[in-house]
Amino acid sequence: MAAIISGYDTKQRRISTQALLQKIYRSLEQGETEFEITSSGHHNIGGPLWTEDGRPLKFRVKNPGQRVGSFGLEGTEIVVEGSAPADAGWLNSGAELTILGDGGDTTAHCAASGKIYIAGRVGTRSGSLMKHDPAYEVPEFWILKNTGSFSFEFMGGGIGVICGYGREDLPSVLGDRSCMGMVGGTIYVRGPVAGLSDDVWVLDLDDADKAFLKENMPVFLGKVGRPQLEKELTDFTQWQKIVAKTYEERNVRSRITMREFRNQKWVADGGIFADVVKDDYTHVAGLVNAGDDRIKIPHWQDKRFGAPCQVACPSNIPTQDRINLLRQGKFDEALALVLKYSPFPASVCGEVCPNLCMDACSRRYIDKPVAMKELGRLSRDVAAPELKAETGKQVAVIGGGPGGLAAAWQLRLLGHAVTVYEADKEIGGKLRQVIPTDRLPADSLQSEIQRIKDVGITVKNNTKVDVGLFTTIQKESDAVVIASGAHNAVVIPFPGHELMTKGLDFLKEVNAGNKPKVGKRVIVIGAGNAGMDVCLGAYAMGAEKVLCIDIQRPAAYKHEIDSVKSLGGEIRWPVFTEKVTAEGLLTKDGELLEADEVIIAIGERPDLSYVPRAWLTDRGMMDVDACSQVVKAPGVFSIGDTVQPGLLTHAIGAGQEAALQIDDYLDGKELTPIIKPEMINQSCLSKELFKPRNRGKFCVTDAKDETLRCLSCGTCRDCTMCLEACPEGAISRVEKDDGTFEYVSDDDVCIGCSVCAGICPCGVWAMEITV
Amino acid sequence: METVRVQSVTPNDMPWKIKYDASRCTLCGSCVSACSFRAIECKVERRRMVFSEGEIPDPQQRFSSVPVIRQVKDIQHYCRGCGICEKVCPNDAIAPERNQDTRHPIISRCLGGDSIKRGGRKNLESSVRTLDKLRIGRISQMTDPSLDAQRHTFDMLAPFGRILPAETLPFSVDSNENLQIEDNMPPVRWIYPVVIGDMSIGALSWRMWEAVAMAVAYLNEECGMPVRMCSGEGGVPVRLLKSKYLKYMILQIASGHFGWNRIAKAMPHMVEDPAGILIKIGQGAKPGDGGLLQAGKVADHIQAIRGVPKADLLSPPNHQGLYSIEESVQKMFLSFNAAFKFRVPVAIKVAASSTSVSVFNNLVRDPYNIVGGFFLDGIDGGTGAAHEVSLDHTGHPIVSKLRDCYQAATAQGRQGQIPLWAAGGLGKTGDLAADAFKMMCLGANGVFTGKLILQMAGCVGNDMGRCNACNTGLCPVGITTQEPALVHRLDVDRVAQNIVNYFLAMDTEFKKLMAPIGNSSLPVGRSDALISTDRAVADRLDIQYVC
Repeated sequence: MAAIISGYDTKQRRISTQALLQKIYRSLEQGETEFEITSSGHHNIGGPLWTEDGRPLKFRVKNPGQRVGSFGLEGTEIVVEGSAPADAGWLNSGAELTILGDGGDTTAHCAASGKIYIAGRVGTRSGSLMKHDPAYEVPEFWILKNTGSFSFEFMGGGIGVICGYGREDLPSVLGDRSCMGMVGGTIYVRGPVAGLSDDVWVLDLDDADKAFLKENMPVFLGKVGRPQLEKELTDFTQWQKIVAKTYEERNVRSRITMREFRNQKWVADGGIFADVVKDDYTHVAGLVNAGDDRIKIPHWQDKRFGAPCQVACPSNIPTQDRINLLRQGKFDEALALVLKYSPFPASVCGEVCPNLCMDACSRRYIDKPVAMKELGRLSRDVAAPELKAETGKQVAVIGGGPGGLAAAWQLRLLGHAVTVYEADKEIGGKLRQVIPTDRLPADSLQSEIQRIKDVGITVKNNTKVDVGLFTTIQKESDAVVIASGAHNAVVIPFPGHELMTKGLDFLKEVNAGNKPKVGKRVIVIGAGNAGMDVCLGAYAMGAEKVLCIDIQRPAAYKHEIDSVKSLGGEIRWPVFTEKVTAEGLLTKDGELLEADEVIIAIGERPDLSYVPRAWLTDRGMMDVDACSQVVKAPGVFSIGDTVQPGLLTHAIGAGQEAALQIDDYLDGKELTPIIKPEMINQSCLSKELFKPRNRGKFCVTDAKDETLRCLSCGTCRDCTMCLEACPEGAISRVEKDDGTFEYVSDDDVCIGCSVCAGICPCGVWAMEITV
Repeated sequence: METVRVQSVTPNDMPWKIKYDASRCTLCGSCVSACSFRAIECKVERRRMVFSEGEIPDPQQRFSSVPVIRQVKDIQHYCRGCGICEKVCPNDAIAPERNQDTRHPIISRCLGGDSIKRGGRKNLESSVRTLDKLRIGRISQMTDPSLDAQRHTFDMLAPFGRILPAETLPFSVDSNENLQIEDNMPPVRWIYPVVIGDMSIGALSWRMWEAVAMAVAYLNEECGMPVRMCSGEGGVPVRLLKSKYLKYMILQIASGHFGWNRIAKAMPHMVEDPAGILIKIGQGAKPGDGGLLQAGKVADHIQAIRGVPKADLLSPPNHQGLYSIEESVQKMFLSFNAAFKFRVPVAIKVAASSTSVSVFNNLVRDPYNIVGGFFLDGIDGGTGAAHEVSLDHTGHPIVSKLRDCYQAATAQGRQGQIPLWAAGGLGKTGDLAADAFKMMCLGANGVFTGKLILQMAGCVGNDMGRCNACNTGLCPVGITTQEPALVHRLDVDRVAQNIVNYFLAMDTEFKKLMAPIGNSSLPVGRSDALISTDRAVADRLDIQYVC
């Protein structure tokens, strides 16, 4: 006989949950094991309760509150006559709970063992967090009809059976979004299922599943009083099974790879830019690449840029080539090379030239420039190069000065017949006439003039060309070079100018050995290089005190000025002349500079009276084009001081260039201006590879020693630094059939690191920038 | 003896100095090979030692010349600090180091006589970001239903398009009690609340742009995330216009109207409508500057798609034909709605400004139902090229301005009718989910982001002056360059995958923030969820102050 427990007091008022539960506890203590409870929504009926001797407990409950059967233990059997609200069977720990109506929300929530049978539906989140403790029986949760949404969330174990009876019309008998986060357990379900989470698989039943359902279905239907449904509910074609993905399956990325997406689904035939850009997306460059993806590409640019010495030299002499030949031991070739550019290496380069090459020399940034003067002198007695075959062409050169002789020399070497017309008694021009012999040893000049004569140039000395002769010469020659220089000294017409001596005449007298008389106190007007020569000449002729004046900063080279000063000469500027008198020179400031003699040396103008006036510019100089050809007279070329005042070396360079132009002219070629190579940028040269010599102690001992000091700017010196430094071994040295060589970088190996360009002493390697 | 003069530019004048350890360097050349800025070079250094080894002074000399890697002393080729040299060096022998004593801002102006231009973000140091002073402080530990961020499903959808209030919906019920739509409804697309912001095909390399477009398609097709991308102004590849993937693309029109002739010509061939149209009026990163594509980046395909020659391409800072917001509604909104027969939503993007609320209020009236969104772009956003003075000194922070607009709408009872989208430095710390979430709590329907997308792709730039050379076209990682040798560095598939993965991660993070406040849909206007420990911020944003 069961204990009858009522949820009402004697006055039919509802008692509290606590009072009701206390009644159950007291009955239990009194030995009762069966309870019939008339509840009024009292909570937590049915567990966790037990008997000391292990006798089972039975509850029949009407109208329970929430959590009926929660924590129910093994041996407890609860039957709810009708429906139960939320949390029925919560944390079921072994009890058998049968609800003969519907279950509320979260029915069987966290159930871990025991069995729960529901004769109707259950609410949302039912079966959530069910789990199976392996030490005990598997928890079971049977539902005749359907669940609410979110059912079996986070399920970790146990068995759920949802029969879907009478609910075949629902979109899903498991509600929406069920089995979210399910990691274990099995759900058998009959009827439509939709909106399941991605965490599970839906499978067909296997034999073991069918055996389980076949065996237990009658038990369930018996508990809920519907045994007649057995046949209908054991048609296993209507059932499916839901199981959680395994840990491994859950971590499998089921999506296709991006490459597959691009190849199979993305805009076909090369993507969205395929019509405007050529690109292969499977090719992904690294940050360091060889071949086409380099952002810098090296090029061996031998002689692409000019050495500073050569570019600065008005005669265009390639000193770096001379020294490279010396370095290779080709001594004779080296010394002969210069003669292809100038017939005066010893007299001009070696003596009187201000050596613009040395001012430009890269070596001066290391210690001191390469000793060009000494190099020049080495070529004094070198034999002339071999002449080219006779062309049969006749060229006349008016003027046997440095420019005219340079032109004559080149033309002769090129195989043309050359006649030089010289007004003086001997060729050499100002080199011979006005350069003081202590600056230019006579034997140097003489041997070089002899070398010129020896190549077979016809020289007509004492032949001053006038209009008549010029016309004849022009008629008889295939080409004419006007190189008569500037010999008319410029005189400023201030009062007393007629008292002055002309500097040029004075120097000519000195050099001719006529020992012109000179005053004790001399004033020289004009502090250019010619002025300095006059000063030196004056001292040589016995002057005691020489004062050189100018209206501007002296234009003479420093060493010229220094040699005048070393003799006691004085240089003053700016000084403006008011007039010249017998007492000396009166300045515009009113100062009288006392002097016995005033010499003016402010330049010379050419005497071009033998050519038509129309050939001259407004300033009275020859009007030539960029190829040295007289604009109004094809075949007539003009160089040196007849075009523009300049240094001896300018005249020599102009002579050489004019000769090359004439050679083309005689060959019938169209003339194009000779473009000098661009000077190499100092930053391209790895000067640090050269050990600086101590500037303080430095002196040139032997010109041949200069082979070590010359950088060979812009011209490969074949040092193999690049070969050794290239980290990829991309560079090789290739010998060519003609005996020359080149360095080549293999594009497939080179990574464009620019080490070659960075270490090249000559600046020959350069990087092409591709981005 | 080196000749160095006061005015000589040397590495200690530069913003970055190359730190180099010759004893670790093998002269493998990788660093110089990889440096796209020509900021380092191989050079030879002299080593000279004078020593004495004997018992008495016995001077001897040792001289050697050693090839080394050196920083280029040239203001044109200054180091940007991108760190690619460090990345490729096998021996940790080289790295850029930030130079505190840089004179670059001064000497580059002195030598160049021109304003400084660069890409990136505002670089001026500022205080802690407003967004970082906000916390999600309303933690609902019990919600109904309970939400598990990682395992539950959420509705992560934001509107792009004009939302009509319920009472004005043109609905009726017919005799069979079925709902009927009586009139044309303004188009609305419900999309992911993070739009990939407008970066043009000129600003980005073709590989980068395609990778973004592909990532967006992948997110939609393979991950079920309706992410949209805005084209930026500067043309859209015709092959994309004619493909079905156009539906994921918001087309932009800005003041230059670049590329729109090809879009118009493609219309008869379109198989899908675009996702939307965005009228760009201004850009938050550089208000007052228009688009600035420097000639170095105007590659052949850009010339073709845009129909312009190689030159610096400047979009005017203002639309040539617009004088007022009313006119812009009339002209631009109407025209672009009409261009796609009123099937495609049209929104507007403006730079945040102290006057933004007035602009927004004007749009909110929208009697024609053609205003499909208000994109508000604050300072701190990124750009491919701008005058530095604009980047660093113009603009308006986004947070309070977005809030103001939202509150203006709520005051009129019109919130949500014109969707609010916000941008400007969101995701700057790398965490876009948090920034976006807070912006939504303050009233944004969604956010848009650009610079962060580049960083997902491998961009090494940051807002402390690193790299920021997008304008030069020499992007070392192939993102903002049109030089094939550099573009080839970018792996299209990897970039697209990175973007996809970031969005997947961000999606989870959104949920981790939505669950605690009990929202399974976007928390638009849930400012009750926010707290701030900064009184001024709390007051200004009208949220709870806590301490």
